[in-house]
Amino acid sequence: MREKGFGLNKTQDQKKKKLESAQPVVQEVPDISAHRVLVANRGEIAMRIMRACKKLGVGFTAIYTPEDEASGHVALARSLGEGKNIFRVSSYHDANELMSVADEAGCTAVHPGYGFFAEDFRFARRVKKRDRSMIFIGPSWKIIRELGDKINTKRLARSLGVPTVPGSDRPIYDEMEAEHIAKSVFEFQEGQGIERPLVLVKASAGGGGMGIEEVYDPDQFRSVYRRIRNYALRQFKDEGVLIEQRITDFNHLEVQIVSDRSGLNPVHFGTRNCSIQSTGLQKRIEVAPGFAPETLEYTFDANRVLTNIVEYSLTMAKKVGYDNVGTWEWIVTRKGEPFLMEVNTRIQVENGVSACIARVRGHEGVDLVAEQVRIGLGEPLGYTQAEIATEGVGLEYRLIAEDPDNNFTPWVGRIEHFSWKAEPWLNVLTQIPLDKPYEIPTEFDPNLALAIIWGKDIDEAKARGLSFLDSLQLDGVNGSGEPLKSNVGFLKSNTPRILKF
Amino acid sequence: MIDISALLDEIKASPYRDIAITTPHCGLVRFLGGKVGDKLVGPQGQWKEKPGTAIATIERERNLKTISSPEKGDISVIHSELEDTFVEAGTTLAILRHMLTRQEVEQIILKRTLHLFCAPERAKYYFTPEVDKKIRSSDAKTVVVHDGMEFMIMSRMKREAPLRYSGPEGVIYAIYFTYNENVDAGSPLIGVCPADQVAAIQEMIMRVQTEWNE
Repeated sequence: MREKGFGLNKTQDQKKKKLESAQPVVQEVPDISAHRVLVANRGEIAMRIMRACKKLGVGFTAIYTPEDEASGHVALARSLGEGKNIFRVSSYHDANELMSVADEAGCTAVHPGYGFFAEDFRFARRVKKRDRSMIFIGPSWKIIRELGDKINTKRLARSLGVPTVPGSDRPIYDEMEAEHIAKSVFEFQEGQGIERPLVLVKASAGGGGMGIEEVYDPDQFRSVYRRIRNYALRQFKDEGVLIEQRITDFNHLEVQIVSDRSGLNPVHFGTRNCSIQSTGLQKRIEVAPGFAPETLEYTFDANRVLTNIVEYSLTMAKKVGYDNVGTWEWIVTRKGEPFLMEVNTRIQVENGVSACIARVRGHEGVDLVAEQVRIGLGEPLGYTQAEIATEGVGLEYRLIAEDPDNNFTPWVGRIEHFSWKAEPWLNVLTQIPLDKPYEIPTEFDPNLALAIIWGKDIDEAKARGLSFLDSLQLDGVNGSGEPLKSNVGFLKSNTPRILKF
Repeated sequence: MIDISALLDEIKASPYRDIAITTPHCGLVRFLGGKVGDKLVGPQGQWKEKPGTAIATIERERNLKTISSPEKGDISVIHSELEDTFVEAGTTLAILRHMLTRQEVEQIILKRTLHLFCAPERAKYYFTPEVDKKIRSSDAKTVVVHDGMEFMIMSRMKREAPLRYSGPEGVIYAIYFTYNENVDAGSPLIGVCPADQVAAIQEMIMRVQTEWNE
């Protein structure tokens, strides 16, 4: 039996049709329960997709590689699914293999999760255009192509009067050209009166904060450029490098957009603040909403900034006919100036923090992954912006096996014990089995869990967050007998500064 | 130095190893008529460019791939019950009973003779660009490593860290890893031969070549 979502279900819609029978155009609501979704991902996001499918009454098929044999997503697929609903594959990156599994399992749609193929327009196009066409649960491939290209996004943003960060307008492959651009970005900043200009060099094919370095000294640029280029070639098989102005004193904000396949009525689920990051610029704590002007003081009008970035994001979403979930990422300077960084045409890791404070028609229990699946399969959104509200503050901790004191180096070993005190305001998402030891696979990032905490205001959310971290028991050992290193201490020490700027 | 005669006798006492022939990825399997006892050959040619005996085909997304014998040997088990079924990655199709070649025996002996520099962690390993360039342009044996030398990059979860050599000074005589593939902690990465022992090692290899009959 399908739980009711926030969109119109079939019965409601039929009643509505009778009431509005005088109107000539009635939108058809597809029966999504006939679909089967290939969950083309791993770990906690695979688990969230499977649970969303189960909630919607949609079938699913999961995949795993040999390294993930012990992952919770494999166990969950076996426990939730019916029949043969999980396949061992050689790689999460092998599109041919994913397509063949989808065919074998009779899948009608593919959910890419985040990472892997989530923002690969070629993959999305292939899913749609192959002989046995399927639905790509994400924006249409044309939108991914348009917004996935950071340069196109910049151009579109500029054409709509949306501010963007100065920098190179395409991946650079030539050292001389790279040096020329870096020089001009340094000179531009000097012209702006910036005392200590800073250039960011990043692997264009990278993501998640990997392959990024800062350069303060123009004389150091060449060696950093070569290091990033070589790294990019090894890790991403593409030595293209982007060169941008690095804005240092900023907050990292996001706007969560949701839109159905019509692309006509995008709505937003508010803002998030993801400013607490590792030294490698990877997010560690996310908060929704993006600022708390009713509690904290800012040197700028925080409400106006939040309104502006939401409006800018919706303007762009409407312009391109955005037709699924997506995130507009922003830099906000201390002066309250927002700059669009990029658009992530996928579900974000931190979507749950927006969902936990969202209310649709006054109801809790918003599940953005389920909403993504539902509208991705063709159901209309079923509610308007006016029916969406937020309540309280949501906070997400990313629990990671790493050493924050040593440049956030990943820790690899066996998790022996992992537990916490259950609370009604807490939701912990993890792929780590809690009833037996778990060896962290070295093939992937050592993400252990996401802890999502709700509080009626920022102070309560922080207090609950600290209470959760205090209750946490997380032990492990590596091959050399050394105890587990994690970022729990980092999360604790950074909790007091959440949303402060 | 090890007792080469004793070692050869030990290997001769059990000169076979079982090789599982598995599917490289998911797909629809069709066997090509092999049965238990059939003799197969491994890849042939100067560069091993000719594939070994074809055992089965696997098809996914209209891409038909032939699964060939990776080595010479006899089929001891064949899972013909999988004929015309969709199988997962890593499914065993057959077991090959393979008699060790001279080269493999050499490798066994070298692993016991050379100084092995092992992987400290399960990770992917690369030579530094300078060392890599030298190996590609000439030969690993032209690279001399010494204690404390930064000569490799350890890559784990896309984070990279330099790796320094520890052990006696010598030439890189054997490389036991391939780029972009994970190496388990404790598995050898390279075998190092001190310069004054190169002649002795080569003599051992000569003995294997004359005494080992395939």
